[in-house]
Amino acid sequence: MSIKLSYKMIKAIKHSHSLWLTLSLFLACQSHLHAEESTISAIKTTPINITNKTENLAVKNIIDRANLASYYAGEDGSAEARMIIVDENGNRQMRQFTILRKDVQDLGDQTMLVFFSKPSNVKDTVFRVEKQLQSDDNRWLFLPALDLVKRISAGDKRTSFVGSHFYYEDVSGRNPNEDNFSLDSEDGSTYTITASPKDPQSVEFNHYVVTIDKQNSLPIETTYYDHNDRAIRKMTVLQVQEIDGIATVVKSRITNLNNNSYTEMQFRNVKYNLGLPDSIFSERSMRTPPKAWLD
Amino acid sequence: MNYKRILNFAITKPLVIYCIVLLITLLSLAMLPKIVIDTDPENMLSQEAPARIFHNQIKTDFLMRDMIVVGLVSNNTMFNPNTLQIVEQLTDDILKIEGVIASDLLSLTVVDNIRQLTNEQGISQGIQFEYLMKQAPTTIKASEKIQQAVKRLPMLNNTLVSGDDKAIAIYVPIIAKDQSYVIAERIRALATNTSADTQNDLTFHITGLPVAEDQFGYEMFVQMGVAAPLAGLAIFLLLWFFFRNIALIIAPMIVAMATVLIIMGSLIGFGFTVHIMSSMIAIFLMPIAVVDSVHILSEFADRFKAGDDASKTIKKVMGHLYKPMLFTSITSAVGFYSLMLTPIPPVKVFGAFIGSGILLAFVLTITFIPAYIARMKPETLAKLQRAVQLMEKKGRLASSLEKLGAFSVKRTKLILITFIAFFVLSLVGVNRIIINDNPVNWFKADHEIRIADKVLNEHFAGTYDAWLVFSNNNLQQQSALENFNSILDTANNGATKTAILQAHQQWLKREKNQKNSFFTPDLLMLLDDFSFTANVEEQAWLEQLYNISEQANNSQKIFTDSAMLNWLADLQSALVNNGDVGKVNSLTDIISTVNRELNSGEDKDFEIPSSSNGVAQTLLQFQSSHRPQDLWHFVSPDFQRTLLWLQMTSGDNQHMAKVVNWVDTYISENPPPLNVQHQWAGKSYLNVVWQDAMVSGMIDSLLSSFVIVFIMMMLLFRSVKYGILAMLPLTFTITMIYGLVGWFGKAYDMPIAVLSALTLGLSIDFAIHFIQRVRELEAEKQSLRVALSAMFQEPSRAIARNAIVIAIGFTPLLLSPLMPYITVGFFLASIMILSALVTLVLLPALLTLTTMRQAS
Repeated sequence: MSIKLSYKMIKAIKHSHSLWLTLSLFLACQSHLHAEESTISAIKTTPINITNKTENLAVKNIIDRANLASYYAGEDGSAEARMIIVDENGNRQMRQFTILRKDVQDLGDQTMLVFFSKPSNVKDTVFRVEKQLQSDDNRWLFLPALDLVKRISAGDKRTSFVGSHFYYEDVSGRNPNEDNFSLDSEDGSTYTITASPKDPQSVEFNHYVVTIDKQNSLPIETTYYDHNDRAIRKMTVLQVQEIDGIATVVKSRITNLNNNSYTEMQFRNVKYNLGLPDSIFSERSMRTPPKAWLD
Repeated sequence: MNYKRILNFAITKPLVIYCIVLLITLLSLAMLPKIVIDTDPENMLSQEAPARIFHNQIKTDFLMRDMIVVGLVSNNTMFNPNTLQIVEQLTDDILKIEGVIASDLLSLTVVDNIRQLTNEQGISQGIQFEYLMKQAPTTIKASEKIQQAVKRLPMLNNTLVSGDDKAIAIYVPIIAKDQSYVIAERIRALATNTSADTQNDLTFHITGLPVAEDQFGYEMFVQMGVAAPLAGLAIFLLLWFFFRNIALIIAPMIVAMATVLIIMGSLIGFGFTVHIMSSMIAIFLMPIAVVDSVHILSEFADRFKAGDDASKTIKKVMGHLYKPMLFTSITSAVGFYSLMLTPIPPVKVFGAFIGSGILLAFVLTITFIPAYIARMKPETLAKLQRAVQLMEKKGRLASSLEKLGAFSVKRTKLILITFIAFFVLSLVGVNRIIINDNPVNWFKADHEIRIADKVLNEHFAGTYDAWLVFSNNNLQQQSALENFNSILDTANNGATKTAILQAHQQWLKREKNQKNSFFTPDLLMLLDDFSFTANVEEQAWLEQLYNISEQANNSQKIFTDSAMLNWLADLQSALVNNGDVGKVNSLTDIISTVNRELNSGEDKDFEIPSSSNGVAQTLLQFQSSHRPQDLWHFVSPDFQRTLLWLQMTSGDNQHMAKVVNWVDTYISENPPPLNVQHQWAGKSYLNVVWQDAMVSGMIDSLLSSFVIVFIMMMLLFRSVKYGILAMLPLTFTITMIYGLVGWFGKAYDMPIAVLSALTLGLSIDFAIHFIQRVRELEAEKQSLRVALSAMFQEPSRAIARNAIVIAIGFTPLLLSPLMPYITVGFFLASIMILSALVTLVLLPALLTLTTMRQAS
């Protein structure tokens, strides 16, 4: 079996991004890059033959394409996100926010803003992120009720995103360099890949298994296992929509399999290539949101 | 009389009786393997008890778990690489144990630190959430950094690390209480492994109510297997000492065994769990069951002459003893049945089954014993008679009793004055009784659980939990509801409106009392969803509806209100300053800590933000940690209820009751700024509730059985005077026993509480036998004086013998490793001796006095 990747394919992948993972990018805290320049050029130029010898390289390519599909869409974008957090008692909470994102450089640095709108007591809370590939991301926080802009220090990325089941790393994407991958199986439409962390101490799981859709390269299901090989956590894509020709995840869910609590993330009003000006990605926008781009 | 026919049947067809007894016993035996042990003190309250329902509701709503507390204690500071490595290793191992809820485990390695980073110039580099101790440090300096960090985190300080830094705790939440013993054993094994390869003076402790309860269950099981057979053995030896005839004493032993097996078998067969109380049934029934047989054997041996027809003699004996035995059995049964008036399910079951066991023992005694004796060989009977005569002729018991009898008749006034003095003294003692219980004290002082409990509570703020829950009392949604409806009324018809109306109708149907708000996050989501499908016309009013609902929902979140939170913070510090509570963990600590780090990071910013939105935004930051779910242990997701977790250093009910009263007073003196109500939950509180129920229940039970027994006595003796006389010994005995409890400072706990019923049921026996025989003798001899001196021959020996049988039968309880058994064993032995003495001293004196008065 062989997979040929041409530059054209790369182009296609670049456009079939998923928004849920795009959001991740907005929230990315550090320079965990999922598809670095060098890798990209490798994919661009080298046709890949999956044989025993080159299997590792082939798996790496699948992963890189998945990350490409997941993390880079258009030159910029905006979307309204709604998170429904359901605890083990069935209590439901809602969070809503709007994301503005702009790529500084294709597959390179990015800058973004997250504006909370609901519930009303956290309305106008803003996250601002400068994602940098060569150094730690810069992150700031604006809390309107405390009239406070605060820098968020770089740190562990497997912390909860505002109380949901999504970790920062789930939304920003986990750096492929942190894991070893092996292709478990493939069928007509999917690859199944197992990933094991290179530094087991840095994460709460033992390994995870990800299923990737061959057609749009989107990871459609990821299951995390603990040291007793028990499934503890699961990401499932619930709905994919074609938006401006880009396959976009508009509904996904992360479930804590220990108690079946979960968070569902939905995207609405997804737009790409809006021509967002650089100037709005500033501290000033945190206190005075750029209304024109938020409606 | 019907009994004569039964007796004839028993004597003529003994094999039928044997078969029936054997069959029922075997049937009951088959039930025994279905035994279910229950050691949960929660079951002292019925499933429907409001306090228990509330407790469990809170446990579910706030996801509060049953916790095992693991403690590592040293003489020096714990903050060195070596010790912290042990903590890390132990935590990792515990997290792998099946049945542990990993996400809620509390240990230094899994909790978060929130802090403000500063560079060398002291300029803030932002806030950071990170694991407090992801990996154990390798240097002393790094260890001390962790030490300092903990001091700045009120949620952890004195909970995970003791104030003196000499102890570190791991809180292990478990999925089910009944697994705590197994999990605790596995943790103990882990601890032995870890401490084996360390040189320092680290000691390891494990405690927590679930462990105590489960361990207690385990030991209770062992106890039942040891103490009950021992009691059987003690009684057997004693009977042999009295009658020196194995063949004969097998009969009462069979009665005792059959009674115990049938009662325990039916208890288990009917699906009742074996609780601490019911586990004592076997030990209670064994001595009581042989008492009637002892009477029969004594009198039979007395009357039977060589060559007599055993059947005829036994018929005579039974005709003579049937009535007093029936009455003593019924009165004893009434004493125990009265326990069913208490509101405590295990005590009810205990009372019901012992009461029935007494009646069963009576039935078995009056059928099986005559059948057995009638079938005995003449030579065995002759041997029996010789033995009894030998025993009755001389012996210390006989001569002491004679002396006692002479004394009672002569020194009537002295006796009366002494008794009144004792009675008064006892009443004073009763008033000194301290009502208290503590399941951990069910273990002996040197038990590892008691030691762990003591050590950990010396170091930490307390391993006993109580939860003080505040809830919104005022939903204030009436005007919002009106607005909502009026907008909906004017809205254009369509699918959207119909769906919203439907949601409202459903809520009205479901919430007749409007206990739960209409303006829930679910409603907001529904309205939000509609806004995407609605047409332009609908959009306008949908937005209005959303805004009204959002606002109403928001205004219900009273535990984001700064005034409310500040009031709670004040209550908290007052509670701790008062000294009865070691520490309070609450929402206000979380908010103030995050607020401090968001701002300057200095103590001056350890405060509640001034606006409700400020609070919500602070909490949004807290939730960006590794453990966002921790928040929901302290506040409900709708922010209408909050939970204060009180840590106390003792599990004494008295201690808890004091705190409850203090809080009530504080709240009435310092009313909260918003309309909230407070309620208690947590195990320590539940213990107080059932204890209160027990005290009042016991008074009801005692009074009612007293009245019933009194009426029965008057009926039995057909005399008010003898009725009153019969009640006197037990009145004295009960008062004296409780006076003793008061004077000794022994806490009035569950085992002590049930003693009143036992005393009443057992000591009335002596009075009945005594008065019945005295009256018979008086009628026979035409003189009370002569009758009384005759009383101190065989009849008093029968009473004394019975007292000794029961007292000694209960003594194996003293060997138990569990305190409630020891208490019961000790007091029962005392009660038997005391009530026998009181009967033998007080009744002759009073009889003499009243007759003298009548004569003069």
